[in-house]
Amino acid sequence: MFPQFGATADTLSKASTIMFRIGTDAHLYDDPEDVNIAPLLDSKFDSEKCEALKRLLALIAQGFDVSNFFPQVVKNVASHSLEVKKLVYLYLLHYAQKRPNEALLSINSFQKDLGDTNPLVRAWALRTMAGIRLHAIAPLVLVAVGKCARDPSVYVRKCAATALPKLHDLRLEELSSTIEEIVGTLLTDNSPAVVGAAAAAFSSVCPNNYSLIGKNYKRLCTILPDVEEWGQIVLIGILLRYAIARHGLVRESMMFHLHSKEHSSSENDDSDVHSTVGKVGIDPSKKYDSELASMISRCYIEGPDDYLSRSSYSNRVSLAFSGAKFTSCKNNEDVKILLQCTSPLFWSNNSAVVLAAAGVHWIMAPRDNIQRIVKPLLFLLRSSRSSNYVVLCNIQVFAKATPYLFASHFENFFILSTDSYQTKALKLEILCTISTDSSIASILKEFQDYIRDPDRKFAADAVAAVGLCALQLPKMASTCLEGLLALTRQDSFTSDVRTSEEEAGVLVQAIMSIKMIIKQDPPSHEKVIVQLVRNLDSIKVPAARAIIIWMVGEYSKVGEIIPKMLLTVLKYIAWSFASESSETKLQTLNTVAKVLSNSRGENLETLQKIARYVLELAECDMNYVVRGRGCFFRKLLSCHLGSKKLEDEVITSPENEGLLNVLSEHMFHEQAIQQSPVPINYRVYLPGSLSQIVLHAAPGYEPLPKPCTILHDADTEADVSEQDGSGSFTGSLDEGSGSYNGSDHSVTSGGNTESGESGSSNEDENIQDPLIQISDESHLLPAASADLEELMSKRDLETWLDDQPSLPNSSIHKESKVPRSARISIKDIEKRVRPKTYELLDPANGNGMKVDYTFSSDVSNISPHVVTIQATFKNCSIETISNIVLKHEDSTTKPSDCSESSSQDDVPALVPMQEITSLEPGQATTETIHVRFHHHLLPLKLVIYFNGKSFPVKLRPDIGYFVKPLPMDVEVFRDKESHLPGMFECTRSCIFKGHVDDLNKEKGDHTFSKDKFLVVCESIALTMLSNANLFLVSVDMPIAAKHDDASGLCLRFSSEILSNSVPCLITVTAEGICSEPLNVAVKVNCEETVFGLNLLNRIVNFLS
Amino acid sequence: QTKLLLFPLSSSCSASFHSSGETQIVSEQAIQREETMLQCIFLLSDSGEVMLEKQLTGNRVDRSICVWFWDQLLSHGDSFKQQPVIASPTHYLFQVVREGITFLACTQVEMPPLMAIEFLCRVADVLSDYLEGLNEDVIKDNFIIVYELLDEMMDNGHPLTTEPNILREMIAPPNIVSKMLSVVTGNSSNVSETLPGATSSCVPWRTTDIKYANNEVYVDLVEEMDAIINRDGILVKCEVFGEVQVNSHITGVPDLALSFVNPSVLDDVRFHPCVRYRPWESYQILSFVPPDGQFKLMSYRVRKLKSIPLYVKPQITSDGGSSRISVMVGIRNDPGKAIDSISVQFQLPSCVSSTDLTANHGVVNVLSNKTCIWSIDRIPKDRAPLLSGTLLLENGLDRLHVFPTFQVGFRVQGVALSGLQIDKLELKVIPNRLYKGFRALTRGGQYEVRS
Repeated sequence: MFPQFGATADTLSKASTIMFRIGTDAHLYDDPEDVNIAPLLDSKFDSEKCEALKRLLALIAQGFDVSNFFPQVVKNVASHSLEVKKLVYLYLLHYAQKRPNEALLSINSFQKDLGDTNPLVRAWALRTMAGIRLHAIAPLVLVAVGKCARDPSVYVRKCAATALPKLHDLRLEELSSTIEEIVGTLLTDNSPAVVGAAAAAFSSVCPNNYSLIGKNYKRLCTILPDVEEWGQIVLIGILLRYAIARHGLVRESMMFHLHSKEHSSSENDDSDVHSTVGKVGIDPSKKYDSELASMISRCYIEGPDDYLSRSSYSNRVSLAFSGAKFTSCKNNEDVKILLQCTSPLFWSNNSAVVLAAAGVHWIMAPRDNIQRIVKPLLFLLRSSRSSNYVVLCNIQVFAKATPYLFASHFENFFILSTDSYQTKALKLEILCTISTDSSIASILKEFQDYIRDPDRKFAADAVAAVGLCALQLPKMASTCLEGLLALTRQDSFTSDVRTSEEEAGVLVQAIMSIKMIIKQDPPSHEKVIVQLVRNLDSIKVPAARAIIIWMVGEYSKVGEIIPKMLLTVLKYIAWSFASESSETKLQTLNTVAKVLSNSRGENLETLQKIARYVLELAECDMNYVVRGRGCFFRKLLSCHLGSKKLEDEVITSPENEGLLNVLSEHMFHEQAIQQSPVPINYRVYLPGSLSQIVLHAAPGYEPLPKPCTILHDADTEADVSEQDGSGSFTGSLDEGSGSYNGSDHSVTSGGNTESGESGSSNEDENIQDPLIQISDESHLLPAASADLEELMSKRDLETWLDDQPSLPNSSIHKESKVPRSARISIKDIEKRVRPKTYELLDPANGNGMKVDYTFSSDVSNISPHVVTIQATFKNCSIETISNIVLKHEDSTTKPSDCSESSSQDDVPALVPMQEITSLEPGQATTETIHVRFHHHLLPLKLVIYFNGKSFPVKLRPDIGYFVKPLPMDVEVFRDKESHLPGMFECTRSCIFKGHVDDLNKEKGDHTFSKDKFLVVCESIALTMLSNANLFLVSVDMPIAAKHDDASGLCLRFSSEILSNSVPCLITVTAEGICSEPLNVAVKVNCEETVFGLNLLNRIVNFLS
Repeated sequence: QTKLLLFPLSSSCSASFHSSGETQIVSEQAIQREETMLQCIFLLSDSGEVMLEKQLTGNRVDRSICVWFWDQLLSHGDSFKQQPVIASPTHYLFQVVREGITFLACTQVEMPPLMAIEFLCRVADVLSDYLEGLNEDVIKDNFIIVYELLDEMMDNGHPLTTEPNILREMIAPPNIVSKMLSVVTGNSSNVSETLPGATSSCVPWRTTDIKYANNEVYVDLVEEMDAIINRDGILVKCEVFGEVQVNSHITGVPDLALSFVNPSVLDDVRFHPCVRYRPWESYQILSFVPPDGQFKLMSYRVRKLKSIPLYVKPQITSDGGSSRISVMVGIRNDPGKAIDSISVQFQLPSCVSSTDLTANHGVVNVLSNKTCIWSIDRIPKDRAPLLSGTLLLENGLDRLHVFPTFQVGFRVQGVALSGLQIDKLELKVIPNRLYKGFRALTRGGQYEVRS
């Protein structure tokens, strides 16, 4: 900000740059290609290599593509000179993604450098290795990162943390759990510098994994002031989100205040809140405030798009945060410590840190402490011109919600001539918002200065601001009017000379402001109207004249003076009609029409004359709009015009005339429509976010988490660790939960119509059975007890329950209830089942060829031993790819042999697929391939051949598709189940969370919420069916006393193993509260014990 | 059977879209997009030439964004240039302009905009510190250093090392000696072979093993005075923004404590990371382990000051196509030290076609963009400086109805006009001999007089 003392130093340095340009790299930049670069790269002297590399970088800087040197440059990565290394790294990072194969050549050197004794070398090697982002080496990099995360040097550990997002970007799902684990370790690092970088990694790798934060929350808070500034910004955001998700909003905070307004009855007992309200001195009658503030907090939590798109305004208000719970910052240690540790950050030198800390206090701090954010925010205004604007945008929102916060600091928003136009406009708006009775005098004085500013657009804004101030503080209305009137009389506008367009804008704005103020209370401002009308003669700007003439018509009956002078005025405007602009002409017509239709008795004749004169002129006008309106009015007002001459032209039947009368009555009489307060539709995003500046949700913007959505972390964590033990198979497929989260979006978007259907299904002729079949196993709570048959007899309760949802159905139901419901429920849910897609070949590794595969639920027509897979081949490159074929890795064995003789040898085999002759760029095709897995769970090594090249790929089997659905009904199921006890039965339990999101979404999406049970059942069923080829036999719901208790919920699935048709029965029993993660017990009954166990592991894996 | 490709989609990008169809599209973008902060930094010269690009992530940003940017700038003019955050069709851009150099950063995802702006400001600071000023030539001449610095300052879109003193140890600044050396020896390495010790110490801004023969520490109070005098000549706002700049050359790891005589005048403060918060909170004492060399220890703000050192009285009268202007400058409250480098600058209204301005002291310059600069330097003892002359208005206008604002610049050496005074500077472990020096300086900041 401040250049140093010596003014002469500046001139000296200028001179020296010219003198010493010789010693710099100037010649390299100016003329990078004046020597042959290639031989220099191969030179044995470091200095020559350096020169070559610098020349290459110069070319990069100037936008040339020098990737053709890549192989030569890569060789130099092994150089011992650190400078050469650094330059090579710069080059490598620029081009590595373009030349992945050659980049692989550098890996050995990185591996070697990672073991170097110099931490700088280790750090650079790691940064570059991760930075080149190749899928092929991702596992290697992960190992390296893991090693560096335990490095003795802080710098290396920090680089390890920043390498994690690079790995994450590759989206290799099998690595993600390890990445998150490393993030967790780095978050607990001793060095604050590492913690800062780890926080950044956390927010890009796994921003919703709150359990990592939960474990270290207190420590992270206390270390926060010592973390380096950039890390602080990110960490503050993470801690805020965690605190909201864990504890909810703070009862004493701003965010709650608005709430207390809405539910004031429930709040009355809380005297604490009210005393704080009193202290700060808010006028509770200001409904506007509370409404706005409530909107702000909703926007923070739901995101403005969700919030504003909700169907109706009233809906918005009445829909409280049903899920929101509140906490008090007095007795909540977590909130207290967060506020405590963020408050010294107000003194940070980094403006982003200050704003982030202010955001936390704005949302979480008790209302009487919120004042603390004001001074630091205002100080930020001085930090740099660019940040000035961003800070003002945020202050604007704060000031709108709580004008009193900034009221006494109004002079900070006085405008400087050097401010940019955007800044000026923002400052004006803030000044209007925060003006109070005590400050308005000074603010208006300022505004008067602004009106004379050379920037006329800004001057017009200032005039508009005067009007806004007058609206806000009615006491000032007359003062403001006086000022504005004086402005309209200013000779710059009234002089005969042409006024520039911008000048006219100021005048029009002034008159609009006057109009706006008068509208509040027309009778008391009668004299102002009179004065304006008097000025008509001198005001030349058409738009301004139009508004004044409109006011004549609008207020023609107001007060005493106006009606008296009305006739004169009308004569005047009629006389000048011909010379007006069309805009003014239209308003003149309107005014004449209004006055005429309103007038009774006196002067009617003169009025009619005037009207006829004007209408005649209008009908001969050049402008067709004016002509049209003239004709229209003539017809409409024919009865008022009352001329004999006209009557023969206009054929008016009596009733027609009456109609016209009514019409004109409605059009021109008092339009005292009380404007209902317009719902405020500002888009508000979290303070300090990019979205708040650009006023739309930038990709990646997330509102605050729903309050109190995470539970105690202890039990979930235990489960996660248990999971990790289940071997390589688990590791490779545990993205199942991820895919579920991905697909649930589409699930709920369809859910809206779904629920509507089910609601109206009573009347429907061809009724679809509900997905859920309610049965009477109310005391089945200890789940899966032996005497199932006996329980089935209790029919009466069931019929009673069934009667309610679907009356006509119940009769059919009694006869064949279970099978029917089962069959249809599958059909219903099938539409929403999304089998998961895996990646076989990445376009980055496969020369632009992209191959994805999905396990198909279709049973192969070749052989029962074969699993069908849908593979999608897509050409992402720019060239045609031809002769694509997928083969077994062992291409020596004859593929034809495989399909026939493989029944003897137990090796997984691929039934040969047809060759795809060619794929145009961008074209995609889907092929069905058949694989005989023989129950092998290890990845199958395959090779894709195309364009004469081969690419090894791995096909990962999914045990969930080694079975096929076995339709049966509940009785048969139970019967079979009873024959498979003991060693044929295996059980595991896990935590199921998939429905929690759905439930939350439900709250936002629907005005009436779906039955929670239904959501839970659907969620479990969908997860199961999306990940395995099963048949949903039945869903049994508990009839529990408590509404929310899902304990005893039981889903049955059946299937048979493809190869040997051995039935495989799966029972899923849930326990817990609907809205929280459920404890789910999964039981598999299968004669093939090993298969059953593997299937069980897989199910548990994707459920949790 | 139709196939839906559903990628694991972060719920974040669903925020802006509702229907499932759109979600599909976004999810496919999501897989290409990387969730890092800044993606690329461009350095543009004042003619719009891209001097340098530094890609920060694997997802490369094409240069065409700069072409778009420059086209917008040409068509929208100044208001675009002053917009710090721009939403372009493909990226969000952050721009910081310093000495004609535009620092442009791109991102595609939500991130704190102040973080990007603050970072770009730091880059500009570090570069102008390294290159002793910023202009097109020095950046081109030292592009390797700029590259190396950018690489060190940011990794994968997140700031890595931004502390100038540490950067200096990692990448040597191009000083005269090293340049001469490189010419003579042909060896021009400016990359440090070892990691600065500071990166691993508990005071990451200071290297531990520093030795000086003469231990010295200089503390400067540098203040800028902001004031607004309205058209009636009334002072509506007057405040001081100041910095405590320290230049320390002390052996070992010194622990300093700086206290003020009157800390209560401070309205608000901001600190260098080295300052400990606790002692300030309880006793208003600045306790810190200083970085080596020059740094900004603290910045502060003093509000509601009542006296200004200078008065500037503009008078504009207009009549019949021309206006007379006269501006008088004089000392209002003598600060006790000489006021120098006085200048008055104002923008002539656009309706002024030509001027004829003379001053009885100092030099008057009217630039092509109708900016008028009157450099007075010191006020002579015998007479008050007066600028007077006529402004000829454009045809058709007979009087001036918009009035310029006058920006006043000045310097007062040896006085901090906020009244803040340093009490003492203490060193916990005293080396053999420590020389302490204190200075003060006040300058005109946003000092505006309206007419």
